[in-house]
Formats: sequence, C-alpha cells, structure tokens
Amino acid sequence: MTLALWLIKAQFQTRFTATLLSMLAIALGVALGFAIDLINTAALTDFSRAMKSVQGEPDVVIAPRDSAASVPLAVVNRVARDPAVSVIAPVIEVRVRIIDEPATVRLIGLDVLTAPTVMPDLLPRQSAEIPGNLFDDGVYLSRALLARLKRKAGDQVTITRGDATWQTRISGDVPATRADDLIAVADIAWVQARFGPLDGVSEARIRLAANTDIETWKKSVAATLPAALIVKGAADEGARVSNLSRAYRVNLNVLALVALLTGGFLVFATQLTAVAQRSTQFALLGVLGLTPTQRMAQVLFEAIAIGIPGSALGLALGYALAFAFTRLLGGDLGGGYFSGSAPTIAAAPLSILIFFALGCAASLIGAAYPAWLNRTQPLAAALKTGFAHRPPRAHKRRCILLGVLALVALSLSQAPAIAGLPFAGYAAIAVVLVMGITAAPLATHVLFSHLSRYNLPPAQRIAVQNVAQAPLMAQVAASGLIVSFALTVSMITMVSSFRVAVDTWLDEVLPAPFYARSKATPLPQAALDALMRPDAPFAKRESAAFSSLTLDPSMPAVALLVRELNRDDPGARLPFTGPVITSPSGQTVVWVSEPMAELYRVVPGQQLRLPLLGRDTDVFVGGVWRDYARQFGSVVISRSDYEKLGGRFEPTDLALWPLAGQDAAAKNWLADYVKRYALEFSESAEIRRLSLSIFDKSFAVTYALEAASMMIGLFGLAVTLAASVWLRARELATLSALGFDRAMLTRAVMFEGLMIASIGLAIGLACGIAVGALLTHVINPQAFHWRMQLHVPWLVVSIGAGLTLLAGLGASRFAARQTTLLPAARVLGGVQ
Amino acid sequence: MKRRAFMLSCLLSAIADASPQYAKVLRGLALQFPRDHGAHPDFRTEWWYVTGALDLPRQDIGFQLTFFRVRTGLAESLASPIAASQILFAHAAVTLPGDKLLHAERAARANLGAGVSTTDCDVHVGAWQMQRNPSDVFILKAQDAQFAFDFSLTPTQPKMLQGDAGFSQKAARAEQASYYLSWPQLRVDGGIVIDGKAQRAQGKAWFDHEWSSEVLGDADVGWDWLGINLADGGALMAFRIRDAAGATVFAHAALRDAAGRTQLWSGVAVQFQPLRKWRSARGTDYPVAIEVRFGPHVIRTKPIIDDQELSTRRPAMVTYWEGLVQVEGTLVGSGYLELTGYSGKIAL
Repeated sequence: MTLALWLIKAQFQTRFTATLLSMLAIALGVALGFAIDLINTAALTDFSRAMKSVQGEPDVVIAPRDSAASVPLAVVNRVARDPAVSVIAPVIEVRVRIIDEPATVRLIGLDVLTAPTVMPDLLPRQSAEIPGNLFDDGVYLSRALLARLKRKAGDQVTITRGDATWQTRISGDVPATRADDLIAVADIAWVQARFGPLDGVSEARIRLAANTDIETWKKSVAATLPAALIVKGAADEGARVSNLSRAYRVNLNVLALVALLTGGFLVFATQLTAVAQRSTQFALLGVLGLTPTQRMAQVLFEAIAIGIPGSALGLALGYALAFAFTRLLGGDLGGGYFSGSAPTIAAAPLSILIFFALGCAASLIGAAYPAWLNRTQPLAAALKTGFAHRPPRAHKRRCILLGVLALVALSLSQAPAIAGLPFAGYAAIAVVLVMGITAAPLATHVLFSHLSRYNLPPAQRIAVQNVAQAPLMAQVAASGLIVSFALTVSMITMVSSFRVAVDTWLDEVLPAPFYARSKATPLPQAALDALMRPDAPFAKRESAAFSSLTLDPSMPAVALLVRELNRDDPGARLPFTGPVITSPSGQTVVWVSEPMAELYRVVPGQQLRLPLLGRDTDVFVGGVWRDYARQFGSVVISRSDYEKLGGRFEPTDLALWPLAGQDAAAKNWLADYVKRYALEFSESAEIRRLSLSIFDKSFAVTYALEAASMMIGLFGLAVTLAASVWLRARELATLSALGFDRAMLTRAVMFEGLMIASIGLAIGLACGIAVGALLTHVINPQAFHWRMQLHVPWLVVSIGAGLTLLAGLGASRFAARQTTLLPAARVLGGVQ
Repeated sequence: MKRRAFMLSCLLSAIADASPQYAKVLRGLALQFPRDHGAHPDFRTEWWYVTGALDLPRQDIGFQLTFFRVRTGLAESLASPIAASQILFAHAAVTLPGDKLLHAERAARANLGAGVSTTDCDVHVGAWQMQRNPSDVFILKAQDAQFAFDFSLTPTQPKMLQGDAGFSQKAARAEQASYYLSWPQLRVDGGIVIDGKAQRAQGKAWFDHEWSSEVLGDADVGWDWLGINLADGGALMAFRIRDAAGATVFAHAALRDAAGRTQLWSGVAVQFQPLRKWRSARGTDYPVAIEVRFGPHVIRTKPIIDDQELSTRRPAMVTYWEGLVQVEGTLVGSGYLELTGYSGKIAL
C-alpha cells in the first residue's frame, strides 16, 4: 500500500499538468450532469409547489377537456352526493384585466365553505377595516398583486373581461399565497355572475374519503360523466408536469454524460502515456516481485486518485453552476417550460452519490485499457527498450467492423422512440462515435504510410515513419479530437438547422406587419368594431382565439387555435408540411400541427374525434402544418367552422395589415386602443427578434457543453502529443546527436502534430455531420416532434477546425520544445 | 346546535350591506304537511335535528345528525344559481359510552354540493342526507373517517306540534318565536360503522324541525334544552333561555304522556337548577347534571359521559355541550341535553 501511495505521489508530481487536466475534465463532466440534475429537480419542485399553491392538493379533479367549456353544475351536484367524496370544491377561473393596469390577472372564484380542505393557500382574508365578508361583493388580492398594482384594501377596482365588467372593491388579501403569485380571489358566485359560465364551473377539485382507492373511484366516476369531461388524479398531474420538460431534460443529461465520458477519455490518455512512460519502472518493480495484478491495480488506483478529487470538485462546481444558471436563465435553463422566479437549489443525498460514483466510474473505465496493458507488458523487453505495443489489427478486419457498425447505426436511426424518448437515436450517435475512433488507426496508417513514400526532409520523414509504425499514441490523440470535434460540429449543425428552420417558419407564421394581443382576455367588442370602421387605416385584419384541449390527462394540453382563415385555402396562413386535403362537403375541418400529428398519430385525410366545446365532435384532418412554438401539439380550426359548432368566437389576438404607405398612421391610430385596452402591440420584426433571442437563450446550455467538449478534446490532444514526444526523447536525442538542430526537431514534431490533428478533425467533421443529421432527423422529431432541414454552417465549422488545428500545433510545439530542451547526453544516458 | 346556527346567522347577516326582509313567525298559522316538513327559505334559520340512543350494537350509544339552513341575506339579487344566499351546514356526532365523542361536520351552499327541498323533508350536504319518504319513514345518512351511519326512523306515535300548534314562544316579546315540531319515540333501524367495523343498529330517536327569523333577544347568551324519550312511551321537551348572568329569561316545558295527552308549562312554572358542573379541557364549566321542575315533576339529568363538548370550526369557532343523558326522577327516560352559550363570546 505504501508503495502504491508512493507511486501515486510520484505520478502526480511527474505528470502534474496532465493529471490536473484529467481531474478537471472529470470535474467538468460531473459538474454539468449534477448541475442539470439539480436545476431540473429544483425547477420541477418549484413548479409543482406553485401549482399546489393555486390548485391545492385535490385527490381528483373533474375538468372539461376543452378549456373553453365548463363542468356543468348538475355534474358537480351529482358527484357531491357520492359517499366517497369528502369535499368537492368547485372553482371558476378566468383571466381578467383590472382597468388602468397593463397586465392581466388570474381571477379565481371559490367557495370558502369547501376551499379550506382542498386549497388552503387560496383562502381570502377579510381586511379588518372593511365591512363585508367572504361571500360578498369584493375581491381579495395576493400580496404580490397588491404590491404590483400599488393598491390596498378598500380601494375600488374595475375588473373587465371582454365586454363584461365588475365594479367592486378590494376587500382584503390572500395571505398564504407565494411571494410571486399574481392572483385575485373572489366568491365563486360573484365571478360566475360577472364573467360566467352561467351553469357550470371551470373545475371541481375533490378530496376523497381516506379509505377510497383513488384509481378505482376515478374510473367509476369517469364512466358516468360526459366524454367532454375528464377526471384527473394527482398522479396524472405529476406525470404531466414531468412530461413538460422530460425530453429536453434527457437531452441535456445525455450531453452531460458525453462530457463525463470525454473526461474518462482524458484519463485514458493520461494513464496510457503514464503506463508507457513508466514501463521500465514497472518492469523493474515486476522483477522485484510486483505481480501483474498488482501492476494493473496500481494503474486503477491512480485513476481513482484522479476520480475522487475530480468528482468532489465536480459536485462543488455543479452546485455553483446550478446556482449561477438559475439566477441567470431560470429553472428551465432557458427552455421556456416553467416561468416564474428562480427556484431554490437543494441537493438530494442520492443524486450526490450517483454523480460522485459516475465521476469515479468514468475515470476507472478510462484507466481500464492502460491497466490491462500494464499487466501484460513483457518485463524483459520493457526493461531493455521501454514500452511495447502490439501492432494494429489487420486493416481488413477493421474495415469489416466499420461496415458492420455503419449498418448498426443506420438501423438504429430507423428505430422508433421508446417511451417517447429517442434512445435508439442516442445509441446510433454512440455507434457513429465508435466508428470514428475505429477509423482513426486506419486513417493514420494509410495517411502516414502514404506520406512516408514522399521525399520529405529527414526529420519529418522519421516522424512519419514513426507514427505509421507505432500509431497508438497518434490514435489516442486523434480519438480525443474526433469525439470532441464531432460533438461540437453536430451540435452546431443541429442548432443551426433548427435556427434556420425557425427563421423561415417565423416568416410564414407572421404574415402581417402588426400584431395586437389582449393577453388571454377576450378583446372588447368596441375595439373590434372600431377596427372594422371604414376610416380605420387597415387593409386587412384577422383575429384569433385560443383555448386548450386535454386529450390525455398525463400529457400537457393541446392548443386549440380558432383562426379567421379561408377554410378552402388554409395554405395561405399555415406552413403545411405535406398535402392539404379538402374536407368532404360540410364537415368540420381542422389542421393539426406536426407535434400533434406525431404525438397522437394523426394523418391528413382521417377523421378525428375532438372534445370541442364540451362535447365530442368528429372532425376531418385537412393537413399537418409546422409549429415550432407548441411542443405538445396544436389544432387550428376556422372561425366559421367553430361558430357552426356553436362556439362563441372571443378573439384575443389580432393580425393587422395597414393600408399601403400608412404604417405610421396605423400605428398612431392603434396607440389609442392599445392604451385604453392595455393591449400588447408588436411589429412582426420585433416578434421575430424576440423569438430568435428566446431560441438562442434556450440553447445557452448547449453552447456551454460544446465549449466544454472542445476544451476536453484539446486537453487530450496536448497531453497525448506531449506524451508521445516524451516517449521518443531517446530517439530525438539520438537525432540531435546526429546533428539535427532544435528547430528541425521541433518542426518534425509539429508536423506530426499537424498530421494527427488533421486526421482527427477530418474524421471528427464527418462524424459530426452524421451525428448532426441524427440529431436533426431522429432525435428532434422523436423527442420534440418537430422536423427540419439539415443545415451545416460551414463557415463556423471551418473557423472551429482552424482554431483547433492551431491549438494542436501549439500543443505539439510546446511538447517538442520541452523534450528538445533536455540535454541529449542525459537522455541517451538512460534517464527518462 | 341550534345556538350555533343562530350565531352563524348573526355573523353572516350582521355585516351584510342591506338586511333582507325575513319572514315573520306568526301565531295561528296552520302548518301543512308534508309541505312544512320541507324548507322555509324566507326565514333566517331552520334546522332538522335528530338525536337518539341506540340499544344495538351497544346500550347507550348516542347519535345526532343535524342539518341547518341559513338565509345569509347576502347576494340575494345576484344573477347566479350558486349565490351564497342559502347555506347548508350539517353536523353529526356519535357518543360511545365510557369512551368518547366522535363528530364531523359538512358545509356547502345550496346548489353547489348541498340542496334542500321546499316541499318535503329532503335535505343533503354532500352525501349526508335526511329524507322523509311518503310513509313517514326518515332516512338518515352520514359518513366520515371515524364513523358512519345509515338509519331509517319509523314513527310509533304521531308528531308533536310544540307550543301553540307549532308556534313556539321563546321570550316575552311576540316576535321572538319559532315554528317548532317534534317527533318523539321514533324507532331506529339500520347500520353503524365505528372504527371501520359495520354493525347492525337499533334504538330510539327524537326528531325536531324548527324555523324562525328571530329567537334570542339582545341580552340573551344561550339556552339549555332537552328532548327526552320517556321509558313509558311519553315525551318531554324543556328549554330555558339565559342571560349573561345565568338567570332564566324564558322557560318552557311540554310533556306528552303515553296516552297522547299533552301538558304545557311556561314562565316561572319551569325551573332549571344546575346540580353538577363539569369543566372541559377548554376551561368551560357546563352544568351537565341539572334539575328541572315543572308542575308536579322533578327530573335530573345524568350524562352518559361528561365530555360531550363540541367545537365546530366553519365558518367561525362555536363551542357548546350536546350529548346523551339519562333522566331520573318523577320521569324516567333518555335523550339529548344541549347547553350553549357557556363558553363565552365567539371569536370573529
């Protein structure tokens, strides 16, 4: 043991930089994975807590599948009489605007007789100075809302929604709301009388008797309810919340895993060179009685000695990263799934343990091959000439292997998603990377054998020969570059493909120059009438209304878009991905988005049953259109069809085309309405800019991971090149003794580095594009359900390749100079 | 329980903007049945109140189920079917002899989880219900985590209109009165679940239905009330209303013997005398053993267990004593004693 520790110490002292770098790489991998896990756990907890605050913790919720519909009072009253129901707390929730305030507010109407059991946090509190009570005419505002509006109890307020208004008074607050809940609470009957729905409620939240089996009860009640209502359990809610960001989360975790494995690779490089450099030492120890197993264990000990501090550092770093990221980007890492304040980061002991173990495992896996090599070193040969390595396997076998791997990758890329996640796609990416590494020795051998036939200057010639004959070090250096460059190229490719696609898509979905929205409350009729007047400076206006449909309680709802578009020419407004089929005469037609088509297996031309307006309605699917905005699907229906079904069209969004040359006049004309109705006005260019900036923000983490992976690749290159030069110190010293000067030697080593880096970059580029294609065409459609064209950003890739090459040259120059500084006599004297 | 409903109505209406016109209780109105078994939503408060003592599954198990209707005077002109103008509360309790009192409560507004008929006795809050069927059998259902019961109550005697043909005076002032009818000696059959164990139940019960708009005067703080099924088939109801000093403001007793002859006593002819006080965990002293003298009779109450204090939370805290007692003296029987207004003012 003392020997083991002594050796570890010696190893750290001699290869201080390399060891430190390996440690850092492991730390980086652990940090990224741990940070993602921390942030995500925190965000989910935070999100769930926020949901609980306003929804309470009912055992079961009865809700309409169409958010525009309601739960009939008759259903509430019938279910209330079920002996298993302990409390049924009905709720009416509407989005309203408070006059003179810009933002819209959630107004929750509840019954204080039933709410305490199910949603205690929403209980209003009557202000002591205000006469009246909780059943009376009055609203209660959360502290955050009171602060935001700068109002107090006793103030009069006018609440509006569309054309309905309610003049009332702030009667108190909602003391248990969270610091950032912007909500208003009132008696359910007052909300119903002012804003509807007249004979129903938005939701019925139910607490069941303690000994009730929730699932069984859910099923039995669901059977008695109309199809347009849904019975959701707490488990569904959890699944839905988790589903919201699941694919995004898994994607990030896979990236973190890649970072970790790259760290493992660096350990591999370091340990391999360490084994090679100390082969004489180990051989000596072997002769003195160190068994082969002990020699193997020693290398593994050293790996663990890197892994433990690396992982520990990684955990600390991850915690710091998580903290910084949530402050900068929010809990969804810019993914846009959860909005709200920055969540609190708290680490679970289990996840600390898992990531610590992962870091150590990566380092052990990295050291496995070098350890095995150390075990199998022939002692006598090593004592005499140093490190020995088997010649590479036959090229023919390697070619066959590559072919087989290519076939495997190809078939994996065709496999469907498993549990909604593209696991086969991830496997295909791994196979492509293995292919790249497998191809490296082949390429090295072919290139260097080829080069050795040319009439090169002697120094370079020797370098070329050297690599062609013993390509292990070259292979290791190249592999690192292949993997890291491939990952970087693939990410850049994927993000760029996506960005180009979103850019084009934005052009198609934003045809009008101006947009105005009333933030989820219907536009007042007066505003709509004014727009239609002949003196309004607009050539064309189109409005849209939104609601959501719950098709599967464990999935986030599908958006329903009611649009003023020509049902015979929907292509004028929607970017279709395929053919548009005209519906059989008279039938209601809808156009589904690409995610909706994939998630619910819908094809154009088929019949689809949708829970529209509180009843099941058969509609015809006229086509599939591209929608990058709503990951969980959306359905478009024309206003005329919606009204034919009996729906009330209450638009919230306007698209406006000013008369030719009257942009400024139209803006002025609108300004008045924008102010009066607190509309959100934007020009299409602005929306574009904003959308793209959100897009870029959402890939911030991806960029961070790319940078990390590139750094690790460069570390690897530097370490292995330095080591390979080290190994040839004897050879270089001999050459020096033969009259080569230092400049010549340095050039030779740099030439070698350049060649190896080129091979790595070339193979990395090829793999990167292949992986990019997998990400774009397999991972994205399977995980996020959107498709796009592949777009390789050649300029950025070339710049990246150039910089890497320069960095490689720098590393080999440094290595060469270090070695050539040693006095030839000392080297030749046998001191390594 | 009655006291509680009263305080509730005060709480709700005292702060309403405009006091509504509550219907007045008038002497000489002939009650119509089954119509008057149903609700009278124009009046401020109303309750349907069943108390009883079981012989099966065990002797002296007490039970109680009450439904209150309160006209809050709020949101009466509001165009909403779920306005909080009529609120229903329900309260259920089971006294286990030698053990403890179990109780639970429910509340909901009419048409939003609760409902009441205006044509017959049919009232529910959630799954709890009290319903009369055409053959005068009452169905009672209540269930909670600790207990549940499902009883049918079959009359063995005619109903008993209290006071003057159902007009029950509560004070010297004519306005302080209620319509009040009782139905003693009801036979109880059904099932009871205690701690998850379902058992057959049998016993005797007492039904009260009372509605009014104004019962207590400003100085009154509470009342003592008892309704006793006598062992010989007779029925006794007596109450007194107290002021803050504990003095009797008004007292009344009604005795119907097994043959159906009714005798009434009022004013000083009815004397309530505390015999023994029990101090609850909350520190309230209740005269759980009292002596009542009326005419030739002297009776004493003896509680099955002392701790039958109740505290309800919604919408405000109300604490009182209500429980099964045995009656000894010139008359012998068992029934419920209610002691309200001993725990001081309620906190808003």
